Amino acid sequence: MSSGYELNTTIANLRDLRQSDLRDYDAVYLGDIYCRLYEANFLERPNDLKEGLRILREQGKRAYVATYAAPRNDFLPKVRKMLAAAAEGGAEAVEVLNFGVVRIAHEEFPRLPLHIGGFANVYTAAGVEVLRDLGAVRFTPNYELSLDEINEITGECGAAMELLIHGKMPLGVSDYCFLLDYEEKWGVKCPDLCQKDLFLKQGDWAMKTVGKGILSGKDVCMLEHLPRLLAEGHRHFRVETLSESPAYRREVAAVYRAALDRAFAGDDLVDSEWAETLFRHAHVGLCNGFYFGKSGMDYAGIRPEAMGSLLTVARVES
Amino acid sequence: MDAVEAALDAGADAVYVGLAGWSRGGARGEVTWDELVAAQRAVIAAGRELHVAINTIPKPRQRARLFECIPPLLDLGVRDVIVNDVGILSALRKRFPELRLTASIGCGAQTVADVAFFRDLGAHAVVLPGTVGPDELREIRTIRGITIEVMLHMAEEFVLLGKCWMPSYVHLKPTEVRQTGSMKRGGVGACFRICQQPWELFDGERHVDTRRFPSRQISRIGDVDAYAEAGVDVLKLQGRSLPPDLLASLVRRYRKAIDARTPIAETAALPPMWTVVGR
Repeated sequence: MSSGYELNTTIANLRDLRQSDLRDYDAVYLGDIYCRLYEANFLERPNDLKEGLRILREQGKRAYVATYAAPRNDFLPKVRKMLAAAAEGGAEAVEVLNFGVVRIAHEEFPRLPLHIGGFANVYTAAGVEVLRDLGAVRFTPNYELSLDEINEITGECGAAMELLIHGKMPLGVSDYCFLLDYEEKWGVKCPDLCQKDLFLKQGDWAMKTVGKGILSGKDVCMLEHLPRLLAEGHRHFRVETLSESPAYRREVAAVYRAALDRAFAGDDLVDSEWAETLFRHAHVGLCNGFYFGKSGMDYAGIRPEAMGSLLTVARVES
Repeated sequence: MDAVEAALDAGADAVYVGLAGWSRGGARGEVTWDELVAAQRAVIAAGRELHVAINTIPKPRQRARLFECIPPLLDLGVRDVIVNDVGILSALRKRFPELRLTASIGCGAQTVADVAFFRDLGAHAVVLPGTVGPDELREIRTIRGITIEVMLHMAEEFVLLGKCWMPSYVHLKPTEVRQTGSMKRGGVGACFRICQQPWELFDGERHVDTRRFPSRQISRIGDVDAYAEAGVDVLKLQGRSLPPDLLASLVRRYRKAIDARTPIAETAALPPMWTVVGR
């Protein structure tokens, strides 16, 4: 982390990786965690994965490999194959979201550091300790923990946390894909169905569907709160772009790189252009997830009186 | 307490009850300490077992209070406790080695590797969802040293149990008593069935459908024999939301199927109150 912190994201396949301008990221997780049938998923293609790892290394990025959020027995041979490919391809860590995969990685690939993902349900310092004993070095706590609760965990056990600071927050994972119901009706086959921009709405409520995964409709946005996150000792930040366009991936990262650099230097001003960029990409709006102990759809600004604060912009727009 | 007695009368070998304040089912499905004592007396008299659900995920300050609940349980003769978090499971294992700890269905175990993980962690038992079929179970059963429970009668929602925080995302009203968060952690974001309400599906800006999330009632009474042959130790029925008379009827049907050890055809039309729609 030459900048003192890490900004990372997720990319599902080689095509997206090649189309993405990653200049503002320090690291990338490769692979779609939801579905084995996702188009050209890195997690099903060992050669693509190795090529992806090579590309990232060539760009000077840290290269991580994701794993499935909800595997069944019949996934496990492929999981083992991909862990082997990750080790051979020089992955710097593997993100694990399932306890059985933690055990496999620890026993069969003990040199691979593990990052624990949000679906692994880390809620407690005791949970961190259990997973640390099995090779985990970084933790994304369950998304519904507030910052205060996360800080209680870090205070208790000193774990390195990775926080989602922007993008659609995972809300659930399924064994099934209900988009398959629409193959005939829409004349679109799997795996193209989940490439569409599909939202489920009910009044003010909105969620995004990616087939087996449900994401927040609003983009989590912690732009205004970066100084707090840094002051509380957090250094690993994710911009979730798994289901987003290369333009989203590039432009949102540019905002956060500039904002983090500024916050790291002790300046907490937020440029209005940054807010405009984030609003342009957030089709449904912005939220803070559960970080402030409220409904995950709420948004709390820190300086509502200040020009350029996101809350001010939001009020103007509404 | 009526439900405990109904389940015992109908032939249940063991009954899970939620201890007030520590059960993710919330107040509706919990028992007070006095009711717990009465339930333990009832199961002892019937020669059965009582399991206690302590399956919220308390904050650090509340965890000490949770641990204070355990000695009185042990004094009462209750050794089986079901929990919902690997950290809580590990902490209880170290602190109270005499407990028999079950990793609840909310812990998300579905594979042979998951079961091995919980065995290594010190779990006495692990609960798998009824979506795990007998063939998968046969492979899972190669892991020895842990009791395997399968919930054969359960509502299967679209999102996997323990992996859903949709309700608290859209709506949350914290109270002094219940913490923020999803049903998994025993929070106020308790499931209010948003997946069973109609949602408008949009492709970009274009409205394309109105739909509910898929769900179904799993009731694998016809597979009892196959599960037994695959090596299951415990067949579990989700009965928390049922009134005592329906719970008794459900338990009786499964008791009969288990004792007969002959396949009983799955009933196509379950009584409405036994189904997802009727909950």
